[in-house]
Amino acid sequence: MPVAAIAAALIVPLGLDGDGYAIRVIALVFLFAALGQSWNIVGGLANQISLGHAAFFGIGAYTSTRLLIDFGLSPWFGMLAGGVLGGAAAALISLPTMRLRGHYFALATLAFGEVMRVVANAWTGLTGGPVGISVPYSAPGLWMLSFKGTLPFYYLNLTALVGVTAVFVGIRRSAFGYRLQAVREDANAAEVVGVDTARIKIQAAVISGALTAMLGTLYAQMNFFFDPDAVFGAAPISVRIALIAIVGGIGTAAGPILGAILIVSLEEIANVLLSGQVAGLSNLVYGLILIAVIMIQPHGLVALGPVFRRPWRVPAVDAAK
Amino acid sequence: MALIQAILDGVMIGGVYAVISIGLTLVFGVMGIVNFAQAEFLMLGMFIAWFAWAKLGLDPLVGAFLAFALVFLLGLAVQHWLVRRVMRAPEVAQIFLTVGLLIVLENAALLAFGSDFRSVSTPYQTAALRLGPLFVSVPYLAAFAMSALSGLGLWWFLRVSWFGRAMRATAQDPMAARLSGIDVDRMRRLAFGLGVGLSAFGGAVILPYLTVYPTVGSQFVVLMFTVVVLGGLGSVAGAVVGGLAVGVIQSLSGLVFPIQLQNLVLFVVFIAVLAVRPEGLLGKAR
Repeated sequence: MPVAAIAAALIVPLGLDGDGYAIRVIALVFLFAALGQSWNIVGGLANQISLGHAAFFGIGAYTSTRLLIDFGLSPWFGMLAGGVLGGAAAALISLPTMRLRGHYFALATLAFGEVMRVVANAWTGLTGGPVGISVPYSAPGLWMLSFKGTLPFYYLNLTALVGVTAVFVGIRRSAFGYRLQAVREDANAAEVVGVDTARIKIQAAVISGALTAMLGTLYAQMNFFFDPDAVFGAAPISVRIALIAIVGGIGTAAGPILGAILIVSLEEIANVLLSGQVAGLSNLVYGLILIAVIMIQPHGLVALGPVFRRPWRVPAVDAAK
Repeated sequence: MALIQAILDGVMIGGVYAVISIGLTLVFGVMGIVNFAQAEFLMLGMFIAWFAWAKLGLDPLVGAFLAFALVFLLGLAVQHWLVRRVMRAPEVAQIFLTVGLLIVLENAALLAFGSDFRSVSTPYQTAALRLGPLFVSVPYLAAFAMSALSGLGLWWFLRVSWFGRAMRATAQDPMAARLSGIDVDRMRRLAFGLGVGLSAFGGAVILPYLTVYPTVGSQFVVLMFTVVVLGGLGSVAGAVVGGLAVGVIQSLSGLVFPIQLQNLVLFVVFIAVLAVRPEGLLGKAR
């Protein structure tokens, strides 16, 4: 099944305009599915609901762009550097917050993302501030991650999604993954049977933060231009990433992919239908749909996953709810 | 002397911070839910006060009562129609309900009022009282006095009135409260209404020295979280201490750091408290 899905994704662009709108939307779906998948490592396996993943995403976007502007360094190196910084930031924020659960953890991570946004807006020398920053033009080519059309990003994002999903599935099947899931089911019980819960939560956060930062580089290269609110924002990034993983089925490999298809296309439809209207309308609709989904299925936000359950899903501990 | 002046300013601002954050802690104490949209109710309060000033000629300090009343009613409705239904739902649903509310309120305000920055002009806006070598800005003092007043009102309500005692009983043990004949749903409605109403009231009284715009709430998110975490989430007395502490910290850090980085300083305090005393400075270990 996954092979068929990947094959389909490889063939689809052949029937579409390589620079067209559809390609761009699907490329975005892949990127956000990959982000949801990296969130899933902490949020899904350990049930630590982070609302601050934009912090890592923004670190990645700014690190590679800054290195490209100042040193002409290839974004591939920028991506690695961003990954290291993102992982370091995740470790730093995890140390004081890993003991927190539920609302408390969500609150702490949201504050972390917001502070990063405020600092990025204030530190104009580094980030360009609210005016934003442009990714400098380089001769097209894979080495500088710079292309004329959107199609190469379609394939790059697809590769990233497959890669991050492989990491997620690999972790979930490993002893490390089972420890994380033990923490989710009952942290005290996990501690009693000898799981170093603090340590594995930090390790998971570092992996998740590093992957999220690396995806930030892809986003920067694909968009040419961004500002602190776009990459560090709570609603456009942090909440969206978490929502994508949750709506599709938290803790499952297929979840973020289905969630991204659902949410990103919903947003695009809202944008197309309501574009030209006053600012804020499509976001308002987005918020209303979010509330409506929770009202109709208060237990279902998590339970929506099994509805879409696919045969390739590995039956793991998370099936027991 | 600059130091004493900064502490004095900090206490003045901190009093307001206490009031706007009490709502967050009250709702958490009674229902165990963090209202991520709390700062948007503050934004609504600021807008109500602004319109009361622009259309009715009311001073924001008077408009604050209107802001409290309207947002209180809105809070009752939100609790009844939305929050009540996720009380037993998984935490994820609770978190995303209030996050959804945040997105809706912020963008509804953007649609309704546009993205303009609005401010009021009052006769006392630039006035200051002289206390020996120190100065007290009148708008700060007025906001502080109004906050202290509403804080006292809340204290009376929670300590003395039957409703308040019933609300505290609900917070302590909803089942026992229900068995003693308390309408728990009603108490929760009241707590939510009061909580968001107080934030709106706080937003209105600071309008004389601030500007209002649809995303103003995001300026207060980190601040509110820091206040309630300092005082211990769920503790009203803690929020007062936390608010004053945050005001003073912010004011003192203003002596050293540029104003944009004050949120960073607050965040460091916030994380430090979480790391060392997650139950808050006054809280009992749970």
